[in-house]
Amino acid sequence: MNTIPRCLTTVRGSLLALGLFAGICAAGRAEEHPGRAVYVAHCASCHGDKGQGVEQSYPQPLVGDLSVKELTAYITATMPEGAPEKCQGADAEKVAEYIHHEFYSVFAQVRNRPPQIDLSRLTVRQYRNCLTDLAASFSWQGNWDDKRGLQARYYTTRRRTKENLKIERQDATVDFQFGEVGPGAEIDPEEFSIEWRGGVLAPETGWYDIVFESENAGQLWLNDMRLPLIDARVKSGDQTEYRESLFLLGGRVYPLRLEFSKAKTEKTASARLKWKRPHGTDETIPARLLSPNNFNYSLLVQRDFPPDDKSVGYERGVSVSKEWNDATTYAAIEFADKMMERIDEYAKLPKPGDQQAEQRAEKLREFCYEFAGRAMRRPLSGEQRALFVDRQFAATQDPFMATKRVMLLTLKSPRFLFPGSASEQFDDYRAAEWLALALWDSLPDELLLRAARDGQLSNQEQIAAQARRMVQHPRARAKMQGFFQQWLQLDHFHELSKSSRSFPEFDKNLAADLRTSLELFIDDVVWSPDSDYRRLLLSEEAFLNGRLARFYGVDLPENADFQKVNFDPENRAGLVSHPFLLAGLAYEEASSPIHRGVFLARSLLGRFLKPPPIAIAPTPVDLLPGLTTRERVVQQTAETMCAACHGMINPLGFSLENFDAAGRFRAQDQGKTVDASGIYLDRNGSEHRFTGARQLALFLVGNPEAHAAFTEQLFQYLTKQPVQAFGPETHAKLQESFVKNNFHMRDLFAEIATQSTLQARIIKEKNKN
Amino acid sequence: MYQVTSRREFLRHLGLAATTLPFLGNLASLGFANTTSRKQRLVIVFSPNGIVPKNFWPEEEGEQFTLKRILEPFAPYQDRMLVLNGICDKIKGDGDSHMRGMGCLLTGSELYPGNIQGGSHTPAGWASGLSIDQEIKNVLQQNPATRTRFGSLEFGVMVPERADTWTRMVYAGPNKPITPIDDPYQMFAKMYGEMKDRENLASILDVLQEDLNKVRSLVSTEDRQLLEEQTTFVREMERELQQNQGPGIGHAIPQLELGIREENDNMPKISQMNIDLMFNSFQADFTRIATLQYTNSVGQAKMRWLGIEDNHHTLSHEPDSAEEAQEKLTQINTWYAEQIASLVKRLAETPEPGSSGTMLDHTTVIWTNELGKGNSHTLNDIPFVMIGGGLGFKMGRSLKLKNVAHNRLLMALAHGYGHHIERFGNPDFCGEGVLALG
Repeated sequence: MNTIPRCLTTVRGSLLALGLFAGICAAGRAEEHPGRAVYVAHCASCHGDKGQGVEQSYPQPLVGDLSVKELTAYITATMPEGAPEKCQGADAEKVAEYIHHEFYSVFAQVRNRPPQIDLSRLTVRQYRNCLTDLAASFSWQGNWDDKRGLQARYYTTRRRTKENLKIERQDATVDFQFGEVGPGAEIDPEEFSIEWRGGVLAPETGWYDIVFESENAGQLWLNDMRLPLIDARVKSGDQTEYRESLFLLGGRVYPLRLEFSKAKTEKTASARLKWKRPHGTDETIPARLLSPNNFNYSLLVQRDFPPDDKSVGYERGVSVSKEWNDATTYAAIEFADKMMERIDEYAKLPKPGDQQAEQRAEKLREFCYEFAGRAMRRPLSGEQRALFVDRQFAATQDPFMATKRVMLLTLKSPRFLFPGSASEQFDDYRAAEWLALALWDSLPDELLLRAARDGQLSNQEQIAAQARRMVQHPRARAKMQGFFQQWLQLDHFHELSKSSRSFPEFDKNLAADLRTSLELFIDDVVWSPDSDYRRLLLSEEAFLNGRLARFYGVDLPENADFQKVNFDPENRAGLVSHPFLLAGLAYEEASSPIHRGVFLARSLLGRFLKPPPIAIAPTPVDLLPGLTTRERVVQQTAETMCAACHGMINPLGFSLENFDAAGRFRAQDQGKTVDASGIYLDRNGSEHRFTGARQLALFLVGNPEAHAAFTEQLFQYLTKQPVQAFGPETHAKLQESFVKNNFHMRDLFAEIATQSTLQARIIKEKNKN
Repeated sequence: MYQVTSRREFLRHLGLAATTLPFLGNLASLGFANTTSRKQRLVIVFSPNGIVPKNFWPEEEGEQFTLKRILEPFAPYQDRMLVLNGICDKIKGDGDSHMRGMGCLLTGSELYPGNIQGGSHTPAGWASGLSIDQEIKNVLQQNPATRTRFGSLEFGVMVPERADTWTRMVYAGPNKPITPIDDPYQMFAKMYGEMKDRENLASILDVLQEDLNKVRSLVSTEDRQLLEEQTTFVREMERELQQNQGPGIGHAIPQLELGIREENDNMPKISQMNIDLMFNSFQADFTRIATLQYTNSVGQAKMRWLGIEDNHHTLSHEPDSAEEAQEKLTQINTWYAEQIASLVKRLAETPEPGSSGTMLDHTTVIWTNELGKGNSHTLNDIPFVMIGGGLGFKMGRSLKLKNVAHNRLLMALAHGYGHHIERFGNPDFCGEGVLALG
């Protein structure tokens, strides 16, 4: 990838991220190694064409750890057997190099090894979820139902007593300009107070800015209800904005309380509750992410982790490092400290009293057995209870200290960090663990553990039933969101910006709205009853608000909130023409058929593209004035060495040329009518032609390669393992059932979890024998 | 087995709070700061509601003076003592006397307008500037020779659980009050938590290795590789834990008495625990600046251990003629003096680590108050009593100054550290320059 920087020197900010796409560009076919001819002539008859051996002459595979030099000397002296003079000098050197690289060396062996299910550590996402759910499993949880907004209580005066409570209602958001008149007739506008309560759903993981805006006073609690996150009870000077940052784990609901008060000396009143999502802009926390219900604290571990390996396209825990090990230590300490702050609640300790010390200590010990078992995803054996728990309690007089040590030990144990490492059999607990990681990136819940205990995860029906149940859980929703984030490479669009000359209205807020629009769209399709993959591609609708509607030429009131609208169905179709993707896959001024083509080839058609053989800076628009983008790209990639990949990439991307750098429809480019015709040559050599987004989408919906790509990428995101490791038929079978089942994405989600569990069990059994 | 009685208490017991924990590496900061220059410490102790002037101020001026009842606990250190009469907090503006007395005491800056309504006057918000201890801390922390692990520590005793103008004395900047830590267990965690964590980690390593070996034997040969690597890292961690014992902190980790709840009657105990911790922090050179805030402005301590059932602030409103009340107030203030004297005693008895003289020779302890007198709410004649040789002032004196703005005294503290500022807080009150105390 060292070619990227030059490749993108002319491109600013946001497009650096797209280097990932641009980088995976054309590659010429490798020349055949000159040693191969020698090998075929003199060696293959005894060693087999891939060094695998030949039954009658030399059955052992040709593998070892000699260096090329040593191998050359050996061949010169001894090979071919009985006639070493046939392979000498340069020939011997060439053939040694060839076999070393192709199959002989340790590296070649690893490379050629058939994919298998590898032992993995928890990914960072899994680690965080496990810890939060582990703590939560000892406490109560709130209920995210279909009620939106917050519970509000309005009081006259600043004293919130029963008598002063005048209005009780639900507010969609906290965004009020009361001015001098106050919130209602029953309330003295001179002095009043309000309390809002409920929960807020964090749509993604990361650091949020939480903002309270008011010329009056207030206090805000979020997640930790013991200490206000924002303490603006003292109004001082002309400060009207209070901002604190907070780390939140996505897909979870956090309790929230805002107390507001206006003093007599303050002329006017206003209150606004806003946030800035990770990579977002300041916005009022929207009603769709608020609930008036009660929620409980979530224990969050903030510790930074080194990022997971993503070299194969999805996060997986295939490697460990000192940094990672240190991070797990720090995180374990942080977790244990935070657990200990509420240990009375978690361990359900009896109230302290003179006679209670021993009971409390005993309760702590029981808690520790349970804690370690849940973390390791199976109850402790007698021996493990002694090792992990009893030994800690024996080592210190202080049961609280012992409890803390049990936590540290548990969270550092390979049984927690390396799922499956301690199960000799693929038993029902292992199945529960597998399902929970696949569908939730987390620990099994109580129902799963109970099923495992009762032997209720031993056949396909039982496993499938659990998987179907689990898909309904909010944790599955969070995982599914994660999949789309990765499948559509949305992480690359964080700093999306456009040239202020050509697109003056395309600002940060618009970019943030676009992201919301795409998230709402995907959510709507995936969680609708038919959850149809085809609708994802063919939908005629989009979610727009007033700002987006104006920019993209749809009729909506200026301040309209997000709503589903018909979105130019003639020219647009679902995902592939969603303006967030189109704008993300473009330069600041010009569209980029190459980025769009690479995206279609990789994400939607599952094609493998090698890095480009040479670095080429994109031709600046001004250098060849008058050329359309399409013409310019054709010229730029005309060289033969580019053709192998760009022959596939460009004609895919060209089909979206009706959309400019901001994703707006255009009929013309540089005064010429846009040519949006595209071609795709599939793996069987059949040619497919389409013009424009809708025809492209129709082609994708009917194309088995696209179905296979979606299935495989979802599979790998869920299991963090290559689908090929699960037997030769698994992928095809899943694809088939996906198509047969009307492309139901949620069902596929559950089906992948079920089938991967069953196959992993079969393979484990086979390997044991 | 000790008795744990609440979550909070439990926390105290373990002495732990979630903080970032540089337990590996970064350990140099646990030890002594560079000791090339003369070590100088400043302690500012606050007690509320004014004093009883007739039992506080010496009659005489100069080097020969007699200590009145309240200051009597300082008798052994009279030669190292400076009593400053005539310092006035002249800051006007929003807020009542208690609020300004507190918020302007160390900042010398007005309070911002705000919504906190006092007994009279207009409501107010936070102070509009940083406090002198933080000013000096910032200077010390910028210089590697004087930089310490914490820079400053803010102690409290029975400070109410609410943040407002009456409960905050130290400011990191305008509108940036700093919460004093009145829970000795929390302060303990801040000072020693990392060491405790290292202890805990070290204690589990044997079992962890045993477990890793066991699990390693269970997985396939291909998968073993990953666990081998993990084992290596765990061993490395063990080595680091052994090696990085740090350069030492000059004293053993103190053992706190367990289970002291934060309630009025435990005030003497908490006071002593925090004074001990402050002393430890000086021994280890964790900080060279400390503040200690008893209760708050308008504080309502009930000193039952002195046989006083009344609330302090309520008592302080009694007129001068109320003999019984004045007697109780005298006892209350004497008790505060005894607390401070106990710190001074330890400093005076302990040789300065790595230097000559005693720790008191390197420390200036200042006792002050938000008011001159409780029943008049005057901000004139605010008590400032100094003990010790930290700032190099000429000690063993009773001074009767004439209406000197306290900003000039705050400047003198900075000058004592060689930080020659020409104004601090409201410049209108700095006109005559730094108060000369050398």
